Amino acid sequence: MTDRSVRDKGDSRGGRGRGAPRGGGGRGGGAKGGAKTIVEPHRHAGIFVARGKEDMLVTKNLSPGVSVYGEKRISVENSSGADDTVSKTEYRVWNPFRSKLAAGVLGGLDEIFIKPGAKVLYLGAASGTSVSHVADIVGPTGTVFAVEFSHRSGRDLINMATHRTNVIPIIEDARHPLKYRMLVSMVDVIFADVAQPDQARIVGLNAHLFLKVGGGVVVSIKANCIDSTAAPEAVFAREVTKLREERIKPLEQLTLEPFERDHAMVVGRYVRSTT
Amino acid sequence: MAAVDYLLHESAVGYAIFQVVHQADTIGNRLKEVQDAGQDLAKFGKMVKVVGFAPYRTAAEALENVNLVSEGVMSDYLRSELELNLPKPSKKKKIVLGVSDKTLAGSIKASFPGIECETGDTSEVVGDLLRGLRFHAGKLLVKLQEGDVDRAQLGLGHAYSRAKVKFSVQKNDNHIIQAIATLDHLDKAVNTFSMRVREWYGWHFPELVRIVSDNHTYAKLALAIGDKQTLTQDSLHDIAALVNDDGDLAQAVIDAARVSMGQAISDADMENVSAFANRVVKLAEYRKSLYQYLVDKMAIVAPNLATLIGEVVAARLISHAGSLTNLSKYPASTVQILGAEKALFRALKTKGNTPKYGLIYHSSFIGRAGAKNKGRISRFLANKCSIASRIDNFSEDPNTKFGEALRKQVEERLDFYATGTAPTKNEDAMRSAMDAVLGDIQIDDIPMTDAAPQSEKKEKKSKDKKDKDSKKDKKRRHSEVNGDEEAVEKKKKKKSKKESSSD
Repeated sequence: MTDRSVRDKGDSRGGRGRGAPRGGGGRGGGAKGGAKTIVEPHRHAGIFVARGKEDMLVTKNLSPGVSVYGEKRISVENSSGADDTVSKTEYRVWNPFRSKLAAGVLGGLDEIFIKPGAKVLYLGAASGTSVSHVADIVGPTGTVFAVEFSHRSGRDLINMATHRTNVIPIIEDARHPLKYRMLVSMVDVIFADVAQPDQARIVGLNAHLFLKVGGGVVVSIKANCIDSTAAPEAVFAREVTKLREERIKPLEQLTLEPFERDHAMVVGRYVRSTT
Repeated sequence: MAAVDYLLHESAVGYAIFQVVHQADTIGNRLKEVQDAGQDLAKFGKMVKVVGFAPYRTAAEALENVNLVSEGVMSDYLRSELELNLPKPSKKKKIVLGVSDKTLAGSIKASFPGIECETGDTSEVVGDLLRGLRFHAGKLLVKLQEGDVDRAQLGLGHAYSRAKVKFSVQKNDNHIIQAIATLDHLDKAVNTFSMRVREWYGWHFPELVRIVSDNHTYAKLALAIGDKQTLTQDSLHDIAALVNDDGDLAQAVIDAARVSMGQAISDADMENVSAFANRVVKLAEYRKSLYQYLVDKMAIVAPNLATLIGEVVAARLISHAGSLTNLSKYPASTVQILGAEKALFRALKTKGNTPKYGLIYHSSFIGRAGAKNKGRISRFLANKCSIASRIDNFSEDPNTKFGEALRKQVEERLDFYATGTAPTKNEDAMRSAMDAVLGDIQIDDIPMTDAAPQSEKKEKKSKDKKDKDSKKDKKRRHSEVNGDEEAVEKKKKKKSKKESSSD
């Protein structure tokens, strides 16, 4: 094992700007002009696919007219048959190179538990780019509890949350869930993207306190952050065992290639009873 | 293990106390049926009964209580609520209260001797009951309306997080981090801009580059000279003033201007060149002032570390670690390779040799060591840096005494590698530094604490001894007054231990 205080920054530049152009400015005109694009619902409720020149993952914008991090927006007119009132629905493009959850969805996860009306505990919310999409998915009836430790990114997270009332920002260490227990109710799913060596433990702690029985756990694992010397597959296997010890029954595991290198997404179900 | 009688539920709306009516079984706790019962409101509602609910009256009160609960401190409001709703415990049977957090449990136990506390860690039954409460509390507390909890959570979440962001412990560190980053950018910018000035003005006066090689001086000269035709013998003094009063150099500039092969330049062009040169000069001046600012700031925030390895490297270390607190938590081995992560992880992956140094390479010590000893001195220096950062971070009012002592130790170690002169023993070096620090404190304190007049007739010999005694006395007194001194002392012990093991 490597020293915990040294982080492998060599090939990790955070989520931002690895492959994708910032703000998706590169593709001139592909997505614009809503007339050409058709938006269809994705297999997972709350997520949509925009079919234009190329297909894109989109979510319905909760606060129309506002981009959170400079992502593209697609407006679709939907004429409601009876009278000629044309209402517009706005969607935001969800970049799989920036969001691991989007990468997981594109990779074909069977079940992500995050659906309209769900309560989500989001560990490792960072600046709230992915969180904003999760908030779009769960919609006004759902809630996202977004936990982030860093003050710097927390600032952006709070700013994002002021425009989305279903996001509750919590600037606190996810290692100490008891510190924010007053702010969180029982949740349907925990999404964790914390990239810490003791990630499985963090997820377990939070699950024992806040996750409903039978609730979902979606964990993104970056092999390098846990053990940079071992083979990624071995690291993933070890993490899955650790999750199992935390009474999380693994359902599926998916690599995030080609969007992220040496990352895996593990989906599980929290089973509190033992039989 | 006693069964749990009452449960405390803290939420965003207030404190609620529930009585456990129907005791759950410890053994069958993980059975599916038991777990399912916890999910079912009808069944769970029969297991517990609300005995008290104290909603927060204002948003400010809510935030205050949430902050206290988060730290595991019992607020007065919670105390009164507990007093009101829990029955007076008899001598024989203590009341068992289920609480989520063990620190909060500790503070409750401290002020209510008749209450025993169980937490989710100590008893799984309590953990499950508390989970049930979190699940159903919105419905069990009949006073609440649908959505009350959600709204309270949202408001409180924002307030709590805002306060967290606002109250940052590492206020000063941030300025250092930004300053060093700006300094790096400025260096780059000043350099490229200076090159541009040389290039541009060079069309007019190509000989100047040969005479004045320094970028900053060049820009200043370009600004002062302007059109080279205007340069006469009269301006010798003005030119000399810009080149450190070097008369020969100034004369050379004037001579070169006379025979220059540069093109003539129009006024409009010259104006632009001058404007740019002016910017570059200003930028270079700003860089100097910023550097001074950094030096001053480091003298406040991390004087020992700055004394040991210099302000810039120290600032870079802090910047890399994120804050001085983070840096002081790092082991010396990490400090040693800080900034060389890429090389380190490559080495770990390929099982090659790990790097010997990262950022601390830029300190002068490593350059001065022989090739064979570079790794050794790097390790030694990293040890000292680690100690210095800890002293800086954890002492209330740090001075440079330890930094100087540590610096001297590194110098001696370098000397030892070069010539074989034995360095001072670590114990002695640290003791003298400690004495110096204590000596400073003593001077401050004499008028206040040393009220008892010392008899002047004492012999000199015994005075020496007495001095030592009083020093020790001071030490003790100080450690009682402020923990700071104690911390330093502890560190010292730690340090000597470390030294003896690493040497």
